[in-house]
Amino acid sequence: MISIGIDAGAKFIKAIVLKDEKIVAKGQILAGFEGKENVEKIYNRVMNEAGISPGDVNSVTSTGSGRKMVDFATNSVTDVTAAAKGALSLFPGVRTVIDVGAEEGRSIRCDNNGKIIDYAVNEKCAAGAGAFTESMARALEMSLEEFGSLSLKSEKEIPMNAQCAVFAESEVVSLLHAKTPKADIAKAVNDAVASRITSMVRKVGFEKEIALIGGVAYNVGFVKSIETDLKDKIIIPEYPEYVSAYGAALLIK
Amino acid sequence: MIDQFRDWEKNRHAYAKAWKEKTGGKVTGYFCSYVPEEILYAANILPVRILGSHEPQDVTEAHIFGMYCPFCRDCLAQGLKGKYDYLDGLLIAQSCLHIRQAYTSWIKHVPVDFSYYLPFPNNVQSPRAVTYLAGEIKAFKTAIEKWTGKEITDQDIRDGIKIMNENRNLIHRLYEYKKKENPPVSGEETMEVAISQQLVDKKEHSEALHKLLGSINSVPDGKNNGTRLMILGSENDDIPFIRMVESVKGTIVIDDHCIGTRYFWNNVHENNGDLITSIAERYINRPACPSKDWIIRTRIKHILQLAHDYRVKGAIVIQQKFCDPHELDIPAISRALNAAGIKTLFLEFDVTVPVGQFKIRVEAFLEMLQEEDIF
Repeated sequence: MISIGIDAGAKFIKAIVLKDEKIVAKGQILAGFEGKENVEKIYNRVMNEAGISPGDVNSVTSTGSGRKMVDFATNSVTDVTAAAKGALSLFPGVRTVIDVGAEEGRSIRCDNNGKIIDYAVNEKCAAGAGAFTESMARALEMSLEEFGSLSLKSEKEIPMNAQCAVFAESEVVSLLHAKTPKADIAKAVNDAVASRITSMVRKVGFEKEIALIGGVAYNVGFVKSIETDLKDKIIIPEYPEYVSAYGAALLIK
Repeated sequence: MIDQFRDWEKNRHAYAKAWKEKTGGKVTGYFCSYVPEEILYAANILPVRILGSHEPQDVTEAHIFGMYCPFCRDCLAQGLKGKYDYLDGLLIAQSCLHIRQAYTSWIKHVPVDFSYYLPFPNNVQSPRAVTYLAGEIKAFKTAIEKWTGKEITDQDIRDGIKIMNENRNLIHRLYEYKKKENPPVSGEETMEVAISQQLVDKKEHSEALHKLLGSINSVPDGKNNGTRLMILGSENDDIPFIRMVESVKGTIVIDDHCIGTRYFWNNVHENNGDLITSIAERYINRPACPSKDWIIRTRIKHILQLAHDYRVKGAIVIQQKFCDPHELDIPAISRALNAAGIKTLFLEFDVTVPVGQFKIRVEAFLEMLQEEDIF
């Protein structure tokens, strides 16, 4: 039984191949302007890696904000369902799934049977998502990796308004002009994004265990900010950006 | 089947202008569903509900606060842009300050021949509310008589009540069909009927409703078989939103908002002594707008009953951005629905809604409701 999950996200398209529910290949590609072409590219790439052809594939499930681009999919689910399925399949004890991607943040609460009880998605502004962190790292002239680890070096708490990405960016510029150390600014940004996310987590209610998925989980500074805010340890899968694609692949049709 | 209603909804201004030309009568715009239209029909005046256009605008900033709800700003924009240039009069019954500001600014900047503010009691639960409102409706009637130069007789009022009651009865019958397993009309179609009810002459609307109800049994089953949803909240005439929900396999079977059931739910007793008092009783006892639903929050019981009668599986709770009365109600209503096993999805509406983003949320909500089939 071969199933493929394709998570067509706002920035990256992720694909994963399962053979009898075991991962045999995975890959990602920038969504770019030619989203549909890139869906096909990554689909072919992961099939090549798995050594299979389209005829071998039993099921293709699409998810993500661009899931309609996967017109050859046999099944399609929303990001919320795919994220919950993926995270709970990897960690059956998880009851709260936080998913932070490039443009959206989500918090999903599940019951003991793994069913979704409630969820929340960030409002129209991108302040609670990865693209915002990226632009802040750019403003500080550093890579995202540096941004994350530098943030860990600060103990300062600088309040920042992350209700709006534009306002937050102007606050960062003000801090730069005030010669605030970059580490403190990086931490302030991570704290602010984390606060946006945790307010959503609290809105839907949370219980242990908590998993963080999506590309932003690679930002170690953000993870620390979330853990500090929720006063709890967060589980981060080995490949957090692939969890929704993995969940989609498990939802066979 | 609903082409006529859709045409009225889409071409509301052309309809009102043509009505005026055809009848030589007066047309008044009204804000808020608490205006007692019975008196207007008694005076042969066409009442049309002032609604927004759902188009971005840049004309209200100088006249109304940015943190007043998008609906009242959208309504005011229609006046300032001259979309309702055919109106002879403009009316409002007190409900919330936001819509009152739209009214006040409108009559100041776009004067009309006749304007009237009806001080509707906010505490509708007071034992003195009916008496108070009856007095105000009498004063309103006198003002209309003075404006038109024609006395409104008891028979006229009786006729006005009959016109309104008949129309309300017919739309109730339409809503009855929505209790069926696969309702013959979709939420979108129902909304077209409900909106047009507030835009066109109710006598014509009732005729069209008669026709619709006569042909409704021939609608094949299985057309509207999505997950049964109710929609609650602030003013809502956002047809593209309803269409989107139903395009992803939701079926809106019932609502509690002032374009839908709150507008038409109860009738005036026609044989209950003083006619004006009967009209006052109807408006005091109708399903309340949250701006009036205190000290006891009566909406919860009513909404739970609707949810039960229409067998809803989930509720979409919408709020016009900055609508404080609804914002206050929503946590309590959502909690009551959740306790009754009905999951809720909260969405904040603006003049235009981000259909793409809302679609993902609605789809996720529907998946959550159907997860037995998914997982």
